[in-house]
Formats: sequence, C-alpha cells, structure tokens
Amino acid sequence: MGHEKTLTALAAALAGASYVYGAGMTESGVTFDPAVLVMDDEWIAMIRHFLGGINVNRETLGGADIAAVGPFGDFLSLPSTYAHMREQSQPRIMDRRVREEWESDGATDMYARARVRACEIIESHEREPLDEEARRRMRAVVERADKERGS
Amino acid sequence: MTPALRLEVLSAGDLDAIHAETLQVLEETGVFVEDDEALDIFADGGASIDRETGMVRIPGEVVEAAIAGCPQDDDGPVRFCNFDEGVMYVDPRSGERRDPTKADAGDAARLVDALRNIDSYGAAVRPTDVPAATAAVHGCEAALLNTSKGVGAEATSGWEVRVCAELGACIAGSLDALRDDAVVGFGTCPVSPLQLPRDATEVIVECARLGLSDTILSMAMAGASAPVTLAGALVAHNAEVLSGITLAQLTERGAPVVYGSSTTAMDLRYAAASVGSPEMALIGAAAAQIARRYKLPSCIAGA
Repeated sequence: MGHEKTLTALAAALAGASYVYGAGMTESGVTFDPAVLVMDDEWIAMIRHFLGGINVNRETLGGADIAAVGPFGDFLSLPSTYAHMREQSQPRIMDRRVREEWESDGATDMYARARVRACEIIESHEREPLDEEARRRMRAVVERADKERGS
Repeated sequence: MTPALRLEVLSAGDLDAIHAETLQVLEETGVFVEDDEALDIFADGGASIDRETGMVRIPGEVVEAAIAGCPQDDDGPVRFCNFDEGVMYVDPRSGERRDPTKADAGDAARLVDALRNIDSYGAAVRPTDVPAATAAVHGCEAALLNTSKGVGAEATSGWEVRVCAELGACIAGSLDALRDDAVVGFGTCPVSPLQLPRDATEVIVECARLGLSDTILSMAMAGASAPVTLAGALVAHNAEVLSGITLAQLTERGAPVVYGSSTTAMDLRYAAASVGSPEMALIGAAAAQIARRYKLPSCIAGA
C-alpha cells in the first residue's frame, strides 16, 4: 500500500520517468478501488513535494532570522514564516494531529476517510462542460460499434 | 526536478551492456509474431522471418534506426496516471468488491478529473454490463464524458483503436486535431517471454498509421516469464518493448511511442507478482533510465 507505492513511484520519478502509473490499483492490478485512488493522490502530492527539492539561496538560508531569534526564541511569528507557510505539504486525508484530536473526531482510519472523500467527489464533481453536439456524435459512434461488433 | 535529485540505478556501462545484450537477443533468438500483416511489415523492414514458426529476427541496426526515428521525449516533469485495467471494482458507496460496470468507469474518470495529482486517465476498469466486444469503446465513451484530462483506451484490436480514435475526434474536432491534443492514447502489452500476439501488433500498427500515441509496455516477471536476475529481466523486457517500438517505426517512421514497464519479480514462494517491491522499484527506475538513453518518453508502474 502506501509505503510500497511510495517506494516504486519515487524511484521511477527520480530516475526520470515521463509517466508513473498505477494509482487506484490494489491486489497487484486485479482490482481498482476509488478510495485507494484518493489515497494515492495524496502520496503523489508528497512525492511531488519531495521532487521540488530544497531551494538554497541567500534568503532561504535564513542567517538573518537565526541571528534575530537567537537561543530560546521561536520562529513562529516571523514574517518569513508567514511568507513561506503555504509552501508546506498539506495532506487532506492523512491526519497529522495529536492522538486525542483524532480520537475525538471518531478515530477513523485513512481508508475510511478516503472512501468518504471518493463518494463526495463522485456525487458532486462535474467535468468541464462538453458540448451537446460532441456527446451526440460520440453516442452515434458507440451505437454504430455495437451494431457492427456488439452482438 | 533539480539535477541533484536524479537517481541512477544503472551506470553508463550497465546501460551499454543491457542494450548490447538486448540487440543480440532480438537478432539471434528473435520474437514470436502471430499476425501475418505484422510479419510482412517486419520482413519489408529488413528483419528475417520464419513463416512456419512466426519467429522474427531483427538486425541490431534496424532496431537502432527505429529507436532513432521515434519522436524524442520532451524531458518535462513527471506526470501521474491511474492504473489500467482492473477486472474487479470496489464500490466506494457499499464497500462491495464486484464486477465493474460502465457507470463505474465513468465514476473513476470523474475522480481522476477532480484529483489534482492525477494528470491523465487510463481505462480503470473494463465494463461488464455492455457487449464484451465493444467494452473498450463503452469504457472510452464513459471516460470522455467524465474527464477533460487525457484518456488512455484499452483497445485490443485495430478496429477498437479506430473506433476509440473516432470518439476522441468527436471532442478534438478531427483525427488530425486528436494527434495534437492527446485526447486519446493507447497501450499495448507484449506477452512475456518474447511474444507479440495479434491484439498487440494490431494496436501498434493502427496507432502508428493514425499517428496516435501508443505505450508499449511489458509486464515480465523475473523468475517466471523472464530471467530471475534483474539484469536479465531488463534485457528480456527491453527486447519485448523494442520489438514493438520497431514494428511501430517500420509501419510509420516517426510514430509516437512510449517506452513502458510494469516488469517486476515473481515472489517464488507464492507464485505471485511482487508489485510494490524493491525489485519493482529497481526495475522501474532502470527502465526509466533505459528510455532516457533512447530519448523516449517512458511510462513506469509505480504509484
């Protein structure tokens, strides 16, 4: 599952693959599971974040901030912390909170949360509009194919 | 990706050795080709054909010319795609694992459309509530109706390629526009070891003629359908993929192809493919490196 997919996807991505495929798959490719697809989307977000690497320059090295805070202080309210906070990885399905907060929210496992999210998307998401003419032509192509070979 | 993050599991010398061994396999052992038209194309392209056995032996220079004739990879950032093609489906509403329907294919495509990190859709399931002979066509329709991302169709014949291409053309505007827009692409799996069955060659030939992208992807299993050593598995895998790429280029020079790998090891204790294993990670990384050596785009099993 997650750790296996991270191993294989990260290795392929680091080696320069153009496409990495497999999201949503379980049982070595027998079964497609929408909840697994939602979880895999999240592993991929983390992999993409990792592939972004570490940006090293004068500003990011942070010497001025380190000098300003010194020992015993903290970096929480510095302008640079605000400026960069949205660059952090932000998983939706994984839960990084402390145990007590997770328990008070029902102590659900990741698969259960991903399944709920998959159902929400299936029920609410709409593809960008496709014109009626294209739909009609596609229907005609499928009906003709059924007539030719579908019996 | 920054150059500092680049992973190399094979040295330049390793890559040369795998390439040379692959050419020797293709030239001396050859591959089995089932279909007469594909045999004709190989014969016209300079391969030696045994009509009795269906074996095709391809000179190294023919293979190398084919590789050089492929459109080069754009070397862009990695893209991610869902798995294709599952024979079972887990219904997220009920949790039930069951035979997939056309509606399920639409739901899977809608999910891919919504999920930010999945860049294109591959036929996630083969619908079982439509005629079996047109299941790929119905699956393609369901996908195109539910996602505006690129759609991979699971065609298993030249006819299915043409029909799915027509579906894509309904959206792109024409078959010519389909080539540029990448609305629909295809995939082909040789059978390991060293076989190009009729369904594979029909898809390769038809995609090449239409100028549509075809991912030629081997799924060899080290220890079962390929040598147990990872280097040996890569040679057998590479021979299979390159035989398909050569057929595409002999059909139409410049046909867009993608170098694919779902090759892994068989866990010899259980006679089961070990997907998600360190072996698969090494093979996938190596296959991506081999594709880069050939300047080809690659599609690697992993996510």
